Amino acid sequence: MPKLTIDGKEIEVEAGTNLIEAARRLGIEVPHYCYHPGLSIAGQCRLCMVDIEKAPRPTIACNTTAGDGMVVHTDTERVRDTRRSIMEFHLINHPLDCPVCDQAGECWLQIYYMKHGLYDPRMVDEKVHKPKAVPLGPHVMLDAERCILCSRCVRFCDEITGTGELGIFHRGDHSEIGLFPGRDLENNYSANVVDICPVGALTDRDFRFQVRVWYLDTTKSICTGCARGCNVDVHVNRRRPHHAEGRRVARLKPRFNAEVNAWWLCDIGRYHFDFVDAATRLTAPVRRNPGGPADVTWDEAVAGVADALRRYPPEQVAVLASPQMANEDLIALRRVLETRGIREVAFDVPPTALAKDDDFLLRADRTPNRRGATLIGLGGDAGGLMAAARSGRIKCLWVFHHDLLAAGWPAAEVSRALGRIETVIFTGTNANATSERAHWVLPAAAWVEREGTFTNFEGRVQRFRTALEPLGQALPEWELLGRVLVGLGGTAAGRRAEHWFRELTGAVDAFAGMSYQSLGDLGRLVAGATASGLPTPPGQRASAHA
Amino acid sequence: MNGAPGSSNSPPAERAGLAGPATNVAFTPEQLAEVRRLQGLYPDKRGALLPVLHMAQDAFGWISLEVEEYVAGFFALSPAHVHEVVTFYTLYFQQPKGRHVVAVCHNLSCYLAGSRDILAHVQRRLGVEVGETTDDGRVTLQSVECLCACEAAPMAQVDDRYELNLTPEKVDRILEGLR
Repeated sequence: MPKLTIDGKEIEVEAGTNLIEAARRLGIEVPHYCYHPGLSIAGQCRLCMVDIEKAPRPTIACNTTAGDGMVVHTDTERVRDTRRSIMEFHLINHPLDCPVCDQAGECWLQIYYMKHGLYDPRMVDEKVHKPKAVPLGPHVMLDAERCILCSRCVRFCDEITGTGELGIFHRGDHSEIGLFPGRDLENNYSANVVDICPVGALTDRDFRFQVRVWYLDTTKSICTGCARGCNVDVHVNRRRPHHAEGRRVARLKPRFNAEVNAWWLCDIGRYHFDFVDAATRLTAPVRRNPGGPADVTWDEAVAGVADALRRYPPEQVAVLASPQMANEDLIALRRVLETRGIREVAFDVPPTALAKDDDFLLRADRTPNRRGATLIGLGGDAGGLMAAARSGRIKCLWVFHHDLLAAGWPAAEVSRALGRIETVIFTGTNANATSERAHWVLPAAAWVEREGTFTNFEGRVQRFRTALEPLGQALPEWELLGRVLVGLGGTAAGRRAEHWFRELTGAVDAFAGMSYQSLGDLGRLVAGATASGLPTPPGQRASAHA
Repeated sequence: MNGAPGSSNSPPAERAGLAGPATNVAFTPEQLAEVRRLQGLYPDKRGALLPVLHMAQDAFGWISLEVEEYVAGFFALSPAHVHEVVTFYTLYFQQPKGRHVVAVCHNLSCYLAGSRDILAHVQRRLGVEVGETTDDGRVTLQSVECLCACEAAPMAQVDDRYELNLTPEKVDRILEGLR
């Protein structure tokens, strides 16, 4: 293991570590654009110059491997001068459009110019003009004038997705990023190029012009788009609500977790949050009488639901739980079922069309917590349950989230079954055809409006945290279930999600020994699970482009 | 980027006298053998991309997007990466070219020796601007960077020959010889 000195501090690093990473470990930032730890070295931007003793001239740190006895200086006069010159080159043709650029505030040209800029530009020539606001596909917008040609996006499409849509065309100061004419950037990871673009050249068509990034708040969370549970940051706009017409969730950004998703996030997951601020959100408990629906208080709703669960013998009550529910909700539900001795429970409602794995992160199972629901013991025969409902045996059905009328069952049969059930209870975030048929509707907080944990397909338990207040009167499901449990004469585990998680670790062996603290930011595997780790990106498999 | 292709929007086939559009793009068995031979000359077969593109240009007249995709197939490259190479070099034509190519140097030595007048003369004689092809498909005119013959400035490359120490009279003679 080579031992080297950077800015007077000694450090030992694994062989093969480059100087940017070695310095990072000492808390020293070497500025860079083209280097990205998830991609190959391009050595294109030249900004990461450092002085190495006995070397005749400054050297790029990204492509220099730490050597034993190396003495590196990242802040000499010569290095500072070099950076200033390189920034000057990068900005020769870059437009001065920060006031209208979506990247402003998270732009590395701005950030590094503050530190390393010349401040007194010498350029008198007209800038080279290139295409602006060019859609590269459904999610990405290109401004070629802002591009500094770091080639991160090109390498991403080559080395991660293996789709190779992007290239750098033409030459010299006419060089520009682009697509092969007639093609689109529409692989399922396209928006990652926006994340890795250090400047405002590639922006997100969904996010752009919604709100300035400095008004956003960030919360650690988990993507609910599929069973992988990619780690994300939720960016919410609370401070300028009028800028986005009531849309609170501005965007999801991938959060690094080496075992789950590394730096990446698929487009299906990234944009799977529109339901949170949709007009269909359920915001108040509702009782639907023959006379029509009426808003009720939570106390009335909880009492009504508890009364229904108590009124019918347990064999006439059935529950369709959901793999959208967090572990905390599922254990609370299990306690409710145990209190009444209800056995007819399932969560696997068949979808209308079977989804497929993509060739990287996205799983065919488009729910975040099937593994959790299975471990907590809520698995059952949903088809049999519906058959029992059709036969008239089930008098009371509690549905969580599902729209049974838009599932893989014949809608007419479901409709007939719902018609025979005396009391239908619906809990979910958004209205659907099933909630329209429910006698009691209990509005649930969306995952970004509460905290909890999901168990991903491999058994990794991961925390998500509260980014927003619940809309209207919606409650986390563990809370509304706890209230119903109390209404049934039971005892709720507590008034925080963490209390229910503790209840879970005591009740289900797979979770034994876990706590919110021990899960940390990166999660922990349930007992007996084996990590499958990050799949090899398609662009790095043997069959990919040579 | 003078003479850089890709600026014309008119469908190439509609212009008289030009090589037709490369619709059925395919090498002959002999050309395919040559592709394999060229690829064998390099440690990484991608090294043969430039000579194979030249072959393709000779075979199909110019490098259409279709040709780029066809060539990409021999190298397991995405078409975007072949497009990078084709747009980088001015010697690959992204639109049909004339039967002859006249490339007048405009770099320093030639400029000082009067290349501007030479170029203007050629333009007048041919009736085309830089980057254009005569209506009869006879000559494509380019204005290019240094071709390493400063000692004989002003100069031009006509097809694969250097024409040195140009004068308007010499230009006329050369142009007359192009059929």
